[in-house]
Amino acid sequence: MKKTLILELKGNSLDDGPGIRSVVFFKGCPLSCIWCHNPESKKTGVEISFEPNECVGCNTCLGTCTKNALSKENPFFIDRTLCNLCFECVTNCPSNALERVGHEMNVPEIVETVLKDKPFFDTSKGGVTFSGGEPTLDMDFLGKTAKALKENGVHVLIETCGQFNYEKFNELVYPHVDLIYFDIKIMDSSHHKKYCGLPNKTILENFRTLYRRYLDGGTEVLPRTPLIPDITDTKENLLAIVSLYKEEQVKKTQLMAYHPLWRDKNLKLGISLPSTSEGKMGEWMATERTKACEKIFTDAGIALEP
Amino acid sequence: MHSRNHMNIFTHLALRLMAAQFNFRPSLNKHLKSADGWTNFSIGLKTETGTMEQAIVFQNGHARVLKYIPEKADAVMRFINDDILKETVRITPNEMLNLILKNKIILDGNMAYLGAFNFYISLIMGRRYQRMLDKANLLEIKSRKEEYGINDPGFAKELDKRKESRLKADTIDAGVKCLEDPYLSEYSIEAFPRIKMRHEKHFNATPEISSERPVLLTQWYRRHGFEKDSDGNPWTPELRQAYAFKYLMKNKKPVIRKDSIIAGTTCPEEVGVLVYPDTSGTLIWGELGSISKRVLTPCNISKETAGQLHDIFPFWAKRTTRAWISENHGYPFCQKIDERSVASFNFKTVSMSHTVPDLPRFVNDGTLAIIEEVQQQIKALAPEESDKRNTLTSMMLCLEGLNAYAANLAKEAKTLADKETDPQRKEELNRLYQTCSHVPANPARTLDEAVNAAWISWIGLLMENTNVSLSPGRLDQLFQPFFEKEMGSLSTGDEKKQYLEHVIELISCYFLRNAEHHNLVPDVANYLFGGSQSETAITVGGVTPDGKDAVNDMTYIILKVTEMLSLNDPNMNARFKLGVNSDTYLKRLCEVNYVTVATPSMHNDDAVMEAFSQNSDKIEDLRDWASTGCVEITLSGKHMSHTGATSVNMVAGLEMALNNGYHPLMNWHLGPKTGVVANGDFKTFDDFFVAFAAQQKFIIDNTVELNNMAAEAYAYLRPTPLLSTCIKGAVQNATDVTKGGAVYNTSGSFNIGLSDVVDSLMVIKKLVFDEKRITFEALKDAIDSNFENDPSLHAMVHKKVPRFGSGSAEAVDMANKLTGLIHGCYKSTKNFRGGDYTVGFWSVAQHVAYGTLSGALPSGRLAGRPFAPGATPDPSASKNFLDNIRDVAQLNPHHMDNNIAFNVKLVPGPDDSREKIVNTMFSYVKTYFEQGGMQIQFNVIHSDVLKDAMANPENYQNLLVRISGYNAYFVRLNKEMQIELIERAKYGL
Ligand code: SF4
Ligand code: SF4
Repeated sequence: MKKTLILELKGNSLDDGPGIRSVVFFKGCPLSCIWCHNPESKKTGVEISFEPNECVGCNTCLGTCTKNALSKENPFFIDRTLCNLCFECVTNCPSNALERVGHEMNVPEIVETVLKDKPFFDTSKGGVTFSGGEPTLDMDFLGKTAKALKENGVHVLIETCGQFNYEKFNELVYPHVDLIYFDIKIMDSSHHKKYCGLPNKTILENFRTLYRRYLDGGTEVLPRTPLIPDITDTKENLLAIVSLYKEEQVKKTQLMAYHPLWRDKNLKLGISLPSTSEGKMGEWMATERTKACEKIFTDAGIALEP
Repeated sequence: MHSRNHMNIFTHLALRLMAAQFNFRPSLNKHLKSADGWTNFSIGLKTETGTMEQAIVFQNGHARVLKYIPEKADAVMRFINDDILKETVRITPNEMLNLILKNKIILDGNMAYLGAFNFYISLIMGRRYQRMLDKANLLEIKSRKEEYGINDPGFAKELDKRKESRLKADTIDAGVKCLEDPYLSEYSIEAFPRIKMRHEKHFNATPEISSERPVLLTQWYRRHGFEKDSDGNPWTPELRQAYAFKYLMKNKKPVIRKDSIIAGTTCPEEVGVLVYPDTSGTLIWGELGSISKRVLTPCNISKETAGQLHDIFPFWAKRTTRAWISENHGYPFCQKIDERSVASFNFKTVSMSHTVPDLPRFVNDGTLAIIEEVQQQIKALAPEESDKRNTLTSMMLCLEGLNAYAANLAKEAKTLADKETDPQRKEELNRLYQTCSHVPANPARTLDEAVNAAWISWIGLLMENTNVSLSPGRLDQLFQPFFEKEMGSLSTGDEKKQYLEHVIELISCYFLRNAEHHNLVPDVANYLFGGSQSETAITVGGVTPDGKDAVNDMTYIILKVTEMLSLNDPNMNARFKLGVNSDTYLKRLCEVNYVTVATPSMHNDDAVMEAFSQNSDKIEDLRDWASTGCVEITLSGKHMSHTGATSVNMVAGLEMALNNGYHPLMNWHLGPKTGVVANGDFKTFDDFFVAFAAQQKFIIDNTVELNNMAAEAYAYLRPTPLLSTCIKGAVQNATDVTKGGAVYNTSGSFNIGLSDVVDSLMVIKKLVFDEKRITFEALKDAIDSNFENDPSLHAMVHKKVPRFGSGSAEAVDMANKLTGLIHGCYKSTKNFRGGDYTVGFWSVAQHVAYGTLSGALPSGRLAGRPFAPGATPDPSASKNFLDNIRDVAQLNPHHMDNNIAFNVKLVPGPDDSREKIVNTMFSYVKTYFEQGGMQIQFNVIHSDVLKDAMANPENYQNLLVRISGYNAYFVRLNKEMQIELIERAKYGL
């Protein structure tokens, strides 16, 4: 049976939609936002990670690696140009400091795992959230998984960046989804390309289409904006988003304050931090700054989901 | 021949000096005497290495020193070596205690006399002692401040804020007849100024040791004899107890507190400490001079009280349960194990009354009706049935004593009313006069009478029985008919509102009456059972005996009071019956838990009843169960359940299995020889499990043997005729409940270290036998060296083996194998009353104390660290709380007929709304119950807040936390327990 690469199945999530949810994180994303909070989900292939705080320095791994990819001299510990991802070292590391990132799973495996949490979904009006990475990268797989869950009476939510083929989405995924969290990041297309790797044309088209269908009685869509210092949280960008919402009669949105936790995750994967990760990008966003952003929306009569 | 050394000479000289002071200074010499004459006893001191052996003998007012320990020495202190002996000279009593707890000093014999000896030392040390304690106090406060050093006043404010923005109920339960909003969201403590004042007093007053009960009782026994009456004939124990009780109740001071609408108090002191010299009270002897200065739970003691107790204690020193067992069973082996407090600990030496009496009998029928029934029974006896006649007569005497006390309260109310100038208060006092003239002798007619009757009879029960874990049970069921009737007779909305407010005040007053006496905590108990109080468990909700929804107006009123007062005692327990009780009710339980941080504890009726069905096949009785003490199960009013009889440290059995029956910290080869790891005696995991099972059985057999001896002692020293009048069966059988008179007779055990043992067994099974990744020897070496030389093995046991609570079916199976083993061991025994032992997995606070007494474990837990509490998984088991919930829910209820405690910390996010928090908690609890989970309780608090409270206790006097089954005020806990709570598994909300 067809498998896809899953980063993690996370149970008991309270912040990825209503109620208690299990989140399926797919690996791989068409965008490459420089602030990505889940850098381990960017690449489509499996990876190896190293967490220095867990390492007890037993050197077992050094003896198991036939590629000489491991060295204490290397600030990232693993030389990923030498490593062939055999994961021998991972198996033998006693402390799980070395770990495999990404596991191949098929639809029944995912369904079986998350269904264990179904009793909690039922008492909390929760369900399953597909996140990533970008869950729509493999529409067929996503659609089948969502369908299987719906058949089991599970509420399904997807979190998407919006960069997908609408026709395929409509055919394979849309019928099996109860709620769509749709990211609107940057309105200026050239900025979007600069910070996220692609222009935003498809994203905005998809958003407008889905939102109109929602207003016509289709699946609910909630647009969301991550507040990234000086990138998405500029007055100019937020006002542009507001006018998009006015046009589309959006009454409700969600803002997500920036946090810098992704930086450590990058290091674990052997990715050097971009120069832009310093300054404000190195800190948690101040409450006043978040409040000011929120005000732009509330002033325009657009409510905020907590 | 041992070689004595300079420490021998030193000790000899020190004792000589002490003896000389007592012989020649009249101010000291007078302390060698009590009303019974000279207090004669001897104390031996020796080192285990044989370098020192001395004794001091107090006889006929004279002290002398011997160079050997006489064979009949009353108590012996064994120091494990010279260093420990030297250390004890320099340290405070508190630090000395630590050495005793760590088994560096071993005590044998009669603890009361060791207490007396310590008291004598404190007399000589005088001010120096006080200064040492002051210094120790300052150091302790400083060390707590330094531990984490947080100081954020915002934290305390957040906790206060929880009392605001209260939810409203969105549906009304079938049993709720009068309340429009069952959540009573419009009320906070601010609406009840008198309650608020009394509540503040509760937190600000230092408790004071009360001499009333011990003095009156001892007076009576000295006059009339204990073993024999004044004519020299042996006493029938029941009659002796009954006469003494009646004397106590007649002469007890009738007190009606200022502003109280409930008459009577357990102690005359504002916040009193009840003393029971007839069980374990003499343990405080050594602290009579220092208790007001000690670091934890200090209490005031007047010079007069200290003098009275010092005079009384010699009378009781040989009449305690422990002394009786030692005397009558030749200081048995099982007692010696118990007194080390490492493998097991017996609580019958303190109390036997962990049960739920038939309060409805006192309230609804009244004592006169019971007397009538007892008299009928007597009439029906054959002439030769004198034992039965005596037993029944003693019950009658006790009821008369209770009535006499109520009459005195009535008189007091009248006197106060006549003097009172405030008209409203005058009316209240006149009403109390009428109430006490009517109840508990006659059936209560109003809620005020019902609550007063319940309380006055409770005072009687507490004068007879030690105030540990005696529990009033299902008060919502008891009080509802009165509430409904009175509400029904009112017509206007205003009248109804006024009455409702009166009822909230009445129930608050009842809670505060219960909370205002403390139990006597010898300093050692501060470390073993820190912060625990009387554990007066109140139970609400569930179903009625005929299976209907039992949630009613009084359920919600009691919950409101619980929320407003946030007291550690009474200990609130809530039952939930799936399919019968409403989500609205369960959400309210969660909201109260959130506001109070730690209460109530929630129980799944289905699992509890299924568990207990092995002890009763009567469904009506099972449906009428109520929590007792911490979490335990008692069938209300007909069950002598002594649910907290004995605790067992399951880790000790594991350590003994790893060491061929030897316990390293005790340095004692006490258990059977079951195999040596290094000799390769264990070829398979099953081989090892057999050894492990043998050690558990050995410990359990011993603890049961001791408990049965203690029960025999109890039946002689302290039968309980009053309690017998309100536990069904005793009157009918004309047999005291201590002798098996009740309908149901069980004894409860609680077994500690579940997750630590399961995880250890999993490590041995997986790494050593299944996967063969390491050898058993290597694992054993790592344990013996506390994993210091093997960090990679330490990492491996944590990361490569699935733990209980991680969602591993194999670990759950192992847990059920363990609980099945323990259950089987107990069920192969019987208690003194012919009943079964029940088996629980909760830990009071002993998961911390036993932890300090245990070495490193295969699970990777390091030496001295606390165990996971009760049946809670270790924090490292999983990051996903749902894994914890599922695994605990799969524990087999048939192995747990004395309940469990599943206890986690939930941390609300800073911006989470109250609805979200309550709904998430609700979902956890409901799903856990649906999956078969038995009991759950939360601490809803962030570790940082606890750290701040540790450093700045003055801002957190009221901060309630749940330990394992009981609640405590965080700031009154010992440091180890505070740290354990801070480090306990936590999950975001
Ligand atoms: S995965 Fe294989 S090649 Fe890569 S570092 Fe580990 S052992 Fe070496
Ligand atoms: S095997 Fe693991 S713990 Fe040991 S040195 Fe390598 S990464 Fe560190």
